[in-house]
Amino acid sequence: MDLSKVNNEEKLKLCRWYFKAGFFCLPFVWLINSIWFFKYAFLRPEYDEQKSIRKLVIWSAIGALVWAIAVASWVTTYQTHRVAWGEFGDWISVVTPTGSA
Amino acid sequence: MDLVYDANSAGHQSRAEVNPSSILVKSRGPVPNYEGVEQIRRPVGDDPSRGPPRREEPLQEYDDDDEELKYGAAHVIRLFVPVSLCLLVVVATMNSVSFYRTRDLYLVYTPFHEIDPNVGTKIWNALANAAILLSVIVVMTVLLIVLYKNRCYKVIHAWLIMSSLILLSIFSYVYIVEVLRAYNIPFDSITMAFIMWNFGVMGMIAIHWKGPLHVQQAYLIFLAALMALIFIKYLPEWTTWVVLAVISIWDLFAVLTPKGPLRILVETAQERNEQIFPALIYSSTVMYTLVGMARVDTGSQGGRMSPQSPSNYSRVSGEGGFTREWEEGIDARNAARSRAMDSNSDASRVPPVRIQDPNFSNQLRDDEEEKGVKLGLGDFIFYSVLVGKASSYGDWNTTVACFVAILIGLSLTLLLLAIFKKALPALPISIAFGLFFYFSTSEIVQPFCDTLNTRQIFI
Repeated sequence: MDLSKVNNEEKLKLCRWYFKAGFFCLPFVWLINSIWFFKYAFLRPEYDEQKSIRKLVIWSAIGALVWAIAVASWVTTYQTHRVAWGEFGDWISVVTPTGSA
Repeated sequence: MDLVYDANSAGHQSRAEVNPSSILVKSRGPVPNYEGVEQIRRPVGDDPSRGPPRREEPLQEYDDDDEELKYGAAHVIRLFVPVSLCLLVVVATMNSVSFYRTRDLYLVYTPFHEIDPNVGTKIWNALANAAILLSVIVVMTVLLIVLYKNRCYKVIHAWLIMSSLILLSIFSYVYIVEVLRAYNIPFDSITMAFIMWNFGVMGMIAIHWKGPLHVQQAYLIFLAALMALIFIKYLPEWTTWVVLAVISIWDLFAVLTPKGPLRILVETAQERNEQIFPALIYSSTVMYTLVGMARVDTGSQGGRMSPQSPSNYSRVSGEGGFTREWEEGIDARNAARSRAMDSNSDASRVPPVRIQDPNFSNQLRDDEEEKGVKLGLGDFIFYSVLVGKASSYGDWNTTVACFVAILIGLSLTLLLLAIFKKALPALPISIAFGLFFYFSTSEIVQPFCDTLNTRQIFI
């Protein structure tokens, strides 16, 4: 899919769709959305839909950032407390590291 | 499993590209706002022997070919990157994750496990396995063609969505877990679920719906690499090599014979002005076959070309905007190709019913620059199987030799593509080179190097 071949209305629709999809715990979709539409939100000469696209892009980026922070802090907690949590730590682990010889 | 070069649009466009002399370009109609762009890139005085209204045919033929080869070169590079990336992923995984090197389970399609140490039995097992696997592939391909011919798009889409979903969920999960295990990294299930969900959903959106081209390409490369790793893991040793050989012969047959299923697939897709399903094929750019054709029709029949001289007008045939002399030129050069052209112009005579959305064709008008080469994902998979398998023996000489062999084969195929301009099988040359390089390196070069090393001889 090439955005430069799509008219502005379609762009806005697509951007909005991606933004809405992001609410289903899909910050990766938000990330892609904000990167994909960045050029059309900020670097292009003004057009009618640009304001809305810009807003969606900014909010997608914020959402993705918030998620990234949340996930990063959770992973940090897990990595540092896994052993201390004992049984619970093992229970939520998919991969438990083994000792190396 | 084939390499598609869009014969209609690409051939036609490259033609327009060759003739910056404006009148002729205009007379072709289909390229309305093109001349300006062209002349910037290529000064008119570039070729002194070419008068604006009429040129000498042989020179132009030559030029045409030249230009096409140039396209071929650009495309070689465009395909080198994804193929190399795919091979790199597979080789890196093979070398770091022992899971894909150990053989414990086998696919259902390969019931003979080559346990017997006897070479004769092994060969027999490998051949039988390869025959079974090949027949499965043939049946699946034929099924796909039958469904496509009967326009059961829903079934095909459901099928492709199902298979990509399985790859993006189960097999990706296995892959991630094995990579983490290989590096001994603890990982919790919550983050894992989150990552899998995000990765999978984005993949489905990008592959089957609308997404950035790069994201789609990345996902397709990943899927191909994953599939190759599965093949490497679950196929018995000798079977893998036999399968590679057999599959490239099948590819040759399927793409080149008139009744070959892949050829039918490509031709039907061109006839219907459709793209082949994105989940099956890697495009180096976004292709708009649809309007490539549609533009041709509106151009040659519409009022766009009223201010042209009659002599030029006579050069334009109604059939899909190809000039008569050009079609004859093809005839002279290659009979098979002209057959393909006939079928194409047949298709384009079924006129522009397909362009219902005027926006759509407008968008596409300015996309002359985008001519893509498409490489089937199957090609990616089997290239990677070969290189991955070669690297699984832990010998870098062999790995690099196979890698180079694959790329050489690919560029040769692309060269042929520029010459023949029709769908070509991408496996045979590459795989033949790959197999040859693999066996010669591992059986001759490597022992030679080892001997040199042990005797401390430096050459």
